[in-house]
Parts: sequence; C-alpha cells; structure tokens
Amino acid sequence: MNKTDEGISGPVWNLAELLERVDNDQELLLDLVNIFKEDFPRTMRLLESAIAVADLKNVARLSHTLKGMLSSLGGVRTAAAAAKIEVMASAGESASLKSVFDTLEREGASLLPELDAYMAEVRR
Amino acid sequence: MKILIADDETLSRRLLEKSLERAGYEVVAVENGKLALEQLCKLDGPRLALLDWVMPELDGPGVCRAVRMRSEQTYVYMVLLTSKGSKEETVLGLESGADDYLTKPFNAEELRARLRVGERILLLEDRLVEARENMRFRATHDPLTSLLNRGAVMDLLARELHRSHREKKTTAILLGDVDHFKRVNDTMGHVVGDEVLMEIANRLLSAVRSYDFVGRYGGEEFLVVLNSCDPAFAPGRAEAIRKSISNRAVLTAKGPLTLTMSFGVLLSAEWGMRSVEELMHEADTALYEAKAAGRDCLRLAKPAKKTEPPTTPVPESVPLRQ
Repeated sequence: MNKTDEGISGPVWNLAELLERVDNDQELLLDLVNIFKEDFPRTMRLLESAIAVADLKNVARLSHTLKGMLSSLGGVRTAAAAAKIEVMASAGESASLKSVFDTLEREGASLLPELDAYMAEVRR
Repeated sequence: MKILIADDETLSRRLLEKSLERAGYEVVAVENGKLALEQLCKLDGPRLALLDWVMPELDGPGVCRAVRMRSEQTYVYMVLLTSKGSKEETVLGLESGADDYLTKPFNAEELRARLRVGERILLLEDRLVEARENMRFRATHDPLTSLLNRGAVMDLLARELHRSHREKKTTAILLGDVDHFKRVNDTMGHVVGDEVLMEIANRLLSAVRSYDFVGRYGGEEFLVVLNSCDPAFAPGRAEAIRKSISNRAVLTAKGPLTLTMSFGVLLSAEWGMRSVEELMHEADTALYEAKAAGRDCLRLAKPAKKTEPPTTPVPESVPLRQ
C-alpha cells in the first residue's frame, strides 16, 4: 500500500448494504446506477480541473459531492478516496492532491465494471 | 404528510425521494438551500424537512437559522443530513436550529424512525395550537349562540370606529333587543328561550356581510356593527336586518313563535370622534325610543344640534375695528 492509499479499505462495492438501503427495489437501484454513471465522470473532470489550478475551495466542494454520491451507492473504497481529498483540500494541503486523485480514479475504474456487470445481470 | 428534501447531489436526492415516497410521504425535492427556504416559508409548505449540510446558495444550518427566525408560522421539524460526523459539527448543526442529525449514508429504517419522531412532535404542536384556539374562542365568544361576546365585539367596535374615523368612513352601530323576550322565558321555559336566542343569532349573522360583526351584548340584546357603511343605505340595511327576525316564525320545540326586535341605530360619522361607551349610550337611548314607540321598529340616534348664541346686531354708530 502506498501513502496515498492509506485509509482506503473495504469492498469496492457494498451491494448488500445498498440493497438494504433501497428496500430491495431493483428498479431504483438501476436508476441510481444510471445517475451515478452520468454524474460521476462529469464531477471527476471538474475535480481534476480544480486540482490542476489548486482551487482548493472547489476541490473540497467537488470531492464532498463525490463522497456523498459514492457513499450512497455503496462505493466504499472510492468514497474513502474522495473523503481523503476533501480533508486535504479543507486543510489547505495541495501537495499530494494529484496522487490521491489518481487513487480515486483507479478506485472508480474498478467500481464501474462491477456496476456494469450487475446491470447486465439484472437486465438478463 | 408533506416533506422537503434539499440535497444538491442527484443520486442522494433520488434515493431519499424514493425511500420517503415508499414510506407514504408527499415529497418536495429541491437542489439548494435557497429553494429549500422558499418552500419552507410557504404558508402550506412542508413541516418536515431533510436538509443536506453542504449545499450551494445556502447551506443546511443556514436554512435552519432562517426558518427559526420566522415567528408567526407553524413549527418545521428539520433533520440535517450530512457526511460530517464530529461532535463539534453535531453541536453546530443543532445550535443552528435543526431538531435532529443523521449521518450519510443513512439507513432507511433509521431515517423513517427519526421522521416519525418529527411527526409526533408536529402532532403535539397541532394539539397545542388547537387547544389554544379553543381557549381563545371560549374567551371571546358567547357559549350559547357562538356569537362574539360583549368584550370581544366592543373591542372590535372600538377598532372599527378608529379605522372609520381615520378613513373618513361610517360605521353603523345597531343595538337590538328582542321584544317581550321575558314573556318567552316565563311562558315557554328557558330551553325555548335559548332556542330563540340561537335562531336570532343565526338570522342576524345571515343578514350581514362577512366583514360585519355581530355580538351578544347582554341577555337578549345584540350588537350589530356594519363596517364601512354608506350612510344613505344604513337605515335600509338596518330595516332589512330587523325584518329578518320578524318576517318568519322561529321554530321551537314548543311550536313556532313570531318574534320581533327593536333597534337603536347610530352612524359614527355623524358623531365625530367619541368613545365607544358614549356612542353605545346614544345607541341605547335610541333603542329605548324604539321600544317606547311600540317596538318592532328602529330609531336613529341623532346628535343634538348646537344652539348658536343669539347674535346681537351691531349698532350702526359703533365703529368697527379694522
């Protein structure tokens, strides 16, 4: 585990917890996944741009938004990475933001196939 | 019950919306604090609210503070939803006026249980408001006829007289008394007497406009206040009110009774700025005159004309001072 991965643990996607949260409503779950697939990449691009210009106020706001949507969806590890960026930006630490963002991107990249696989299975 | 969800993040908002709709709530969802405040300040706005802490325009604690600054409106039960979790933040959230605090990601069952707490508190508030309104009604209304009682109708009359004086309008005061009411009580009994008073109250109310006042002034005396009344039409309106009592019999448990009322009528504009007590005294005198004139009629109270001091002709020999 490298330094930027510290504090990032748990399952990539906690489906059981999410199913409980949506009262086993598969239709709602698919709806949430669709919202996520639309909002996540867009917010990630905005966050990347904010980090590039060291706009810490926007970095904190956008990482907070990502943390919220990832937590709601059960993306435990990705949410932890977003939370880490939020804490750093709020504390004014900009030095290693980019590397934690890379971790966030990597975690997001492992979450998305799980979501796609689930959607394909439900639709089958 | 209507509930407001304020969250700028689409996924969380959708999740909450669906979860609460499933629990039977009528959901209003908005994406920022300013819109949340607008919804909560509406007269028929939601009284339960789930507010995200971090929101554009106005954050959750900001919404709570603004809502608590209103005074006259009903209570809004607000729950802050956030991923913040430190004790300091919890205290800050509650100090801003939130009633409860729930950490994201929330558990659906816990959320619903906390909202039920909110509903219980709102129900308690409703009961308190209802009890207060009942007490207020009892303090200002006559228990038999449900008309305004003497104190309340006199207060309203005093206010109306000030207003009409200020706006140069006329308030018509009609002091009425049921003719030979004692006879009804003595021969038919108090139950029938009460029936008569209730029916008269209903007829008087039906004979006036929604913004006029009718009160029970004493035993069988009633006070009717016609607001912003055109003086030219006042006697005609008073006559119509009087006839609404005499034109058909009152149906009682002991058969139909034909009743009449006498009225003393006073038009405020003719009297200048006088106290309510003075004007009521004059209206009472006019009522007495109506009784003396054979009852079942009305008499208008008129201010006595001032007698001018006799003018002494100036002798032609006395030079006038320039």
